[in-house]
Amino acid sequence: MTNHASTSDIADVPLLLMGLRTPLAIDEARWERLLRIGRLTGLHGRLAARNLLHPELPPPVRRHLLSSARVAAFRSQMLRAELFHLAPLCRNDFPVILLKGSAYVLQRRRMAEGRFASDIDLLVPREQLRVMEDRLKAAGWQAQKLDAYDERYYRDWSHETPPLRYPGRTLEVDLHHAITPVTGRRAFDPATLFNRSQPIPGTPFYALCAEDQVLHACLHCFNDGDLELRVREVVDIDGLVREYADRPGFWDRLGQRATELRLERPLWYGLHYAHKWLACPVPGSAVAALKQPPALHRRLMDMLVPMTMLPPSPDHPPALKVKCARVLMLARHHLLRMPPHMLAPHLTRKSLRRMRAHLRGNVEAGSA
Amino acid sequence: MTVSLDYRLFDVGAARIAVASSLDAFRRHLDTVYPHQEVLDGSAFADVRMSLLPQSAWRLHTRQVELWSEGQRPFEPYPANSALPLFEWGSNWLLAQRLNAYLLLHAGVVARDDKALILPAEPGSGKSTLTCALHLAGWRFLSDEFGVIDPESDEVLPMLKPAALKNQSIEVIGARPGAVIGPVFPKTRKGDVAHFVPDRRSFEARHRRAQPRLIVFPRYRSGAPLRSRRVPAAQAALRVGLNSFNYQVLGPVGFGITTRLAQSVRAHELVYGDLDEAVAHIETLFRDAG
Repeated sequence: MTNHASTSDIADVPLLLMGLRTPLAIDEARWERLLRIGRLTGLHGRLAARNLLHPELPPPVRRHLLSSARVAAFRSQMLRAELFHLAPLCRNDFPVILLKGSAYVLQRRRMAEGRFASDIDLLVPREQLRVMEDRLKAAGWQAQKLDAYDERYYRDWSHETPPLRYPGRTLEVDLHHAITPVTGRRAFDPATLFNRSQPIPGTPFYALCAEDQVLHACLHCFNDGDLELRVREVVDIDGLVREYADRPGFWDRLGQRATELRLERPLWYGLHYAHKWLACPVPGSAVAALKQPPALHRRLMDMLVPMTMLPPSPDHPPALKVKCARVLMLARHHLLRMPPHMLAPHLTRKSLRRMRAHLRGNVEAGSA
Repeated sequence: MTVSLDYRLFDVGAARIAVASSLDAFRRHLDTVYPHQEVLDGSAFADVRMSLLPQSAWRLHTRQVELWSEGQRPFEPYPANSALPLFEWGSNWLLAQRLNAYLLLHAGVVARDDKALILPAEPGSGKSTLTCALHLAGWRFLSDEFGVIDPESDEVLPMLKPAALKNQSIEVIGARPGAVIGPVFPKTRKGDVAHFVPDRRSFEARHRRAQPRLIVFPRYRSGAPLRSRRVPAAQAALRVGLNSFNYQVLGPVGFGITTRLAQSVRAHELVYGDLDEAVAHIETLFRDAG
């Protein structure tokens, strides 16, 4: 993969993904296209982490990579600062698990370099959720004002509380009691996540064990969102797998945990796309041991996933087929999140409210 | 598969901006406010690349223009006849996100003999008016919106975009001999806006960096007598940081450059009500600073 001579006939997206692992030797115009799709997918910080020290970078490209690296370093610093403020709220009475980015940063994972941290996700046992929420509020964090419907949505149907924020600071804190929506098809009892969690040395926080971290990344990628431009989540999966692949027994434990938690499907997709797009070193035996998704599902996903998750041409508004694919994936996401008899009223209510807000907006604009 | 767009490239010194648009009036407006820009290869490297497109054709009764960058639309649309203000404002916003290789001050910058006068200010303090007036009094124009400082050399880089004048400033500057101003866009989100065009000499020197020599924090107050006082270095460093778009993002680099700047360059605060008086006073301060 270090052969620079052949890069000119690789398309932009594979080249971007290659550039996350290997310094690239390409011309300015090519770099500009990569920077653009890198920004579009939030991968430019990682591109910078791998390429900034390359001695032959054209000066304007170096400036952009330096810029992205600085933004990533700043956001990572903000994340550490917020965690520093959160640390005194962990009091040994129950474990507070850091999910995703915060864990990667405090565990000093290589994949955290250049990764843009957005918010902080904490996981606590369900019965302690209120205690933790009260501690946060007593320490000055405030919940965003929500109407009664949204409040109930979060409390009853979701797996997290409404986001909390400390006034004047930018990072949101999301407090979770599970890693799947309680109404969703893949809901499971999170108790074993705590049993297997590990303390993060030098901090009062815990992290999911290696296998659970990979499974959570897969679940988050394929079951907890609309997938729009979320190739970076596959990059997370790839980064975790590369981190853990050589640990003795890792692949066996990963397969067992996936079966136990009934997360074989998201794991299969996660490994499939990480391998396909990022040459993630996944042993064939590990994938073969997993139950494969039905052929029809796989074909559909292979058609829709690249269209929604990978960046389109940055020159144009998204094409109609991309928009359609996004709508289909959004529908899939909703169906995974709650059964149809709950989903229909929920979406009706949401769209009515959006229409009302839209009408109000027009009236205001008209009278101005 | 994808049609390649016909991009027009603007080299404004510290950055290059590429824009494609199907709107004829907008293209004419660009000719007016960037009269010195030679034709460049539109596919060469650009720091910001965008297209300004009319909103879907069936909304004919309210024609609006949208700014697309990287397949996304970061702002609400503008009325179709205000494409130029959208381009200027939008390109500044995008540049502010991406040029973190430099310290970006919200400041006007002019120079004499490659020695720079930096005018950091909050919006509404008369920064653009003063920058344009100084330019018309013979100073080289480096920038109006962005004071671009390279922390690797502590030099100021020009950013030769037209200066956005608002409301009364349009008349005040327009009345001065030599002023070239583009069309007035009435009642935008920031009031009436028109763009002041820096002269050809400044445009051609857009790759010539300047050494900071003086910092002036201007504050226009209608009818106020001229008042000027020296700002101590520690305070100046803080105020420069506060007037920066990206001081925080730069972390230790930002702290280093602002303190070095404040220690090596004199800073003054200037309250003024009369533009000519302010220009004359700045000439004196600048001479004494050397």
